[in-house]
Amino acid sequence: MSLEWKKSVIAVLGLLFLGSLVLIQKLEVDRRAVEAKLVAEPIVVPAASRQCVDCHAQSTPGLVDHWKDSTHAHKGVGCVECHQAEKGDADGFDHYGAHVAAIVTPMDCGRCHPDEAKEFGASHHAKGGNILASLDNLLAEVVEGSRSPMNPHAPTPGRPDVTSVNGLASVEVGCKQCHGSKVGLLATDGRSITVDDLKPDKHGKPTNTAILADVQRRDGKPLLHSGSWPNTGIGRINLDGSLGSCSACHSRHDFSARRARQPENCGKCHLGPDHPQKEIYEESKHGVAYRDLKDHMNLDAKDWVLGDDYSQAPTCATCHMSGNLRNGGKVTHDPGERISWTNRPPVSLGMDTDKNHAVIKESDPAKRAAAIADGGDSWQAKRQRMTDVCMHCHTQDYVTSFYEQYDDLVVLYNEKFAKPGQAIVAALRAQKLLTPQEFDEEIEWTWYYLWHHEGRRARHGASMMAPDYTHWHGMFEVAERFYVELIPQARELAAHAAASGKQAEADAVTKVIDEILARPEHVWQDKGH
Amino acid sequence: MNGPAARLRNFLRERLPVDGEQLRALTNEPVPHHLKHWWFCLGGTPAYLFVVMIVTGILLAFWYEATPTRAWESVRVISEDVAYGWFLRSVHRWAATLMVAAVVLHQMRVFFTGAYRRPRELNWLIGMGLLVCTLMAGFTGYSLVYEQLSYWGATVAANLADNVPVIGGLLKSFLLGGDDYNAHTLSRFFVLHGAILPVTMIGLIALHVTLIRLHGVAEMKFRRDEATAPRFFNFFPDHLLTELTIGLVLMILLCVLASIFPVPIGPRADPLSTPEVIKPEWFFYVAFRWLKLWSERAAFLSLGAIVVVMAAWPFIDGWIRRKRPGSEASVFVGIVAVLAILGLTVWEALVAH
Amino acid sequence: MTLSLLASYGTFAAMAGRFLLPTGGRPRRWLLVSDLGSFRAGATRTFVAPTGERIVIARRAAGDASGGDDRGAPALDEFVALSSTCPHLGCQVTWQPQETRFFCPCHNGTFAPDGSPTGGPPLEANQSLPRYPLRIDAGLLYIEVPLADGAAT
Repeated sequence: MSLEWKKSVIAVLGLLFLGSLVLIQKLEVDRRAVEAKLVAEPIVVPAASRQCVDCHAQSTPGLVDHWKDSTHAHKGVGCVECHQAEKGDADGFDHYGAHVAAIVTPMDCGRCHPDEAKEFGASHHAKGGNILASLDNLLAEVVEGSRSPMNPHAPTPGRPDVTSVNGLASVEVGCKQCHGSKVGLLATDGRSITVDDLKPDKHGKPTNTAILADVQRRDGKPLLHSGSWPNTGIGRINLDGSLGSCSACHSRHDFSARRARQPENCGKCHLGPDHPQKEIYEESKHGVAYRDLKDHMNLDAKDWVLGDDYSQAPTCATCHMSGNLRNGGKVTHDPGERISWTNRPPVSLGMDTDKNHAVIKESDPAKRAAAIADGGDSWQAKRQRMTDVCMHCHTQDYVTSFYEQYDDLVVLYNEKFAKPGQAIVAALRAQKLLTPQEFDEEIEWTWYYLWHHEGRRARHGASMMAPDYTHWHGMFEVAERFYVELIPQARELAAHAAASGKQAEADAVTKVIDEILARPEHVWQDKGH
Repeated sequence: MNGPAARLRNFLRERLPVDGEQLRALTNEPVPHHLKHWWFCLGGTPAYLFVVMIVTGILLAFWYEATPTRAWESVRVISEDVAYGWFLRSVHRWAATLMVAAVVLHQMRVFFTGAYRRPRELNWLIGMGLLVCTLMAGFTGYSLVYEQLSYWGATVAANLADNVPVIGGLLKSFLLGGDDYNAHTLSRFFVLHGAILPVTMIGLIALHVTLIRLHGVAEMKFRRDEATAPRFFNFFPDHLLTELTIGLVLMILLCVLASIFPVPIGPRADPLSTPEVIKPEWFFYVAFRWLKLWSERAAFLSLGAIVVVMAAWPFIDGWIRRKRPGSEASVFVGIVAVLAILGLTVWEALVAH
Repeated sequence: MTLSLLASYGTFAAMAGRFLLPTGGRPRRWLLVSDLGSFRAGATRTFVAPTGERIVIARRAAGDASGGDDRGAPALDEFVALSSTCPHLGCQVTWQPQETRFFCPCHNGTFAPDGSPTGGPPLEANQSLPRYPLRIDAGLLYIEVPLADGAAT
């Protein structure tokens, strides 16, 4: 090989080497581009919370991990920002140099999220804790349990510690875990010191500070009454007087917007025989599409605006809370803002609300209009907000006709069964053929089943397009309950009254029943005479 | 004549009393004609790769941190965060692989052509030293990554060193800086890999090349060679160009290997769990399989004996040839040895345990 | 030939040089300082950055505030976040409450509470204490600070 030839070979090889370096450079550039998207932003533990994180990463590592995956962690919101208490807070305590409280309330969250806290505070959700004197509560406290502690009636082998029975267990573990407890500090005598005793001012500071001396403490930390905590019920009544619990939907300690957008989250409470919204949603085309397309729904998006971030399927949050293109992306933390019927009571009511966000029960149209005008909100306005959501995927005609179908079902239920049922029970009560005590007579259970379980299933089924719930789990059972149980039981009560000398009362009730059954929608029955 | 250039030349000449012509005459040794055959360049190849290793190694050392807590993370930073880090690390790793291969091929060539024979026995010994250093550098190198293989490889090797007669325990303590793998161990491997071994190798390579120069390259004659071809050609520029060509081919090869098979980073070392399948680098497969064949002590000592026999082979071969002149025993021994090495390597490569 | 060799090995050397350069400085991040409601006019806060640096964040006293929207929310220019690193040669300044000034022990540089130089080399060179970027978002005050090494988890 001649020298000149060799030199040319080297020149070519040198260029090839250069070429491979260029290739390397391209790989490097590509890699950077990919990594810029892949690499998760590092977490910063804020200086004030570093000690908390160091210690809790050992003692409660899961909790710290949840926080590390949260948006809070990425924005430098640490432990003390939420848990910090001020001197004078009822449940504050010194904890390794910080003054903190275990329970974070909407008042705490509202320091940084004021709009969300305000909307939530106005919602029916926030008032969920005020069931404490309702029919449902009577069931759990009295019928299922006992308002005062009981004695055990026979020993429990292996558990000699069972020396008394907490009659409120069903309320505390059942009702209040959804509705929210009235948070209480454990007093030295075992009673619960609640917001009613503390009488907090508008900043949440207790005005009755003397009572704090009664609080049981361990290493300075005030103990909470186990009947009221742990609790993430959505209407929790907190020691600082605030209502609700943000973690009911957003979960501690990752405070996930993503989770709150998914129906499983609402399904902790909105399910079961009395209001199976979760099951209804799953039966509907909406739920079916969600299950199929969930992975494409961009659930991690910052704002999650319908029509912009996703449009595959709606979840509970989509229709009732989240922002959409037609409303400018405005999220509301008051799910009642888009609901035009309340199907909660025995007879459905139009959702006109007053300035306190309470449903207007007034029947005079002028007074209703006045209450709406005075800072209230009409059902039509609410329906329009919901229609805005629907119209991302459906035409105006389609939505209007859907609402006609829904209205028709609600009105049918109201007129054929609910108002008559209500009238019959009212007549029995008016004639004193029923005791004032609820649930001690069979017909009271019958009526409760009719409206509280079956009637709601029918109406909710219609509201969210689940035909099976509307019909078989709904109207079919309502009809059966009405014709096969309610009417015969009412007649039997009247007959029994007549036999025991209360002929006038019996006649009054029978008249109400007969008038109802004489209506055209009920005359289908062939009475055989 | 009295321009600044001439003054500078005089200034330098006076302080560096070496004449360019002298230097040229000193280094421009005649190169035997057979080196025109490409496969006789396997000696220059490892030398060139060694330079590549030194350059990339120094670069990597800028980012590497030799502590158990930071080592793996720093290698990750090199591979993922630093510009071209993955490339330089891959080049370093692939150059190591190619270097081991080239050293072994070079040694086989020397063996089968009998180039180790009198008077060149000492250079064979130095070559053996370089082989051992290369393998040790390979081993200490992958210990530094502090991935699972690094940790368990180092642990196993240190415990094997315990089997060396008399000084075994001392050797192990020296290697680990304690009774078992601890916080000091990694710095020891780093010093071995980054200072002691390279410096030793530079010294050995210098000796190796000096001895070649003093003896002259062993001449070969091939039947195909034209009778009229000159016996020698010049080192400058002819052979230098050959070496340059080889260097460029190697660089291209390294770039291609690095971009197609960039070196990954394995799971971080976990002193509490040994992985299910653990194997050293391919060039230790032979020894690894051998160790599994016999009892640990027997295998380790026989391995040592084999290395000693390899080192002493020029003298053994000389003794045989004195007894039976013209014997080709070494060729047969060589073939058997190569087949055995290949067999054990392939065997280890094919099985999981 | 020479050209080709120089170009290829030169490129390799350039890549090696790029390899040695630091990887784009410390990453920076917006972190929450406080909600605006609890940061009263005239108040001063110390924000400890992830690097450990103590950053003084002050809100000007009411009265000399120039902005603010109609809701009475404070404007961004009411806030200032001062680095404690002296602009002269990088020493850490300390706050001397009795003198109401920042003092740099290295060359006796002094700064007014708003960070402007009042004495020593910083005054001669007219160098103020560096300011950190602040941002108001949804009623919350954020600061952009460098992250510490190994902040990543």
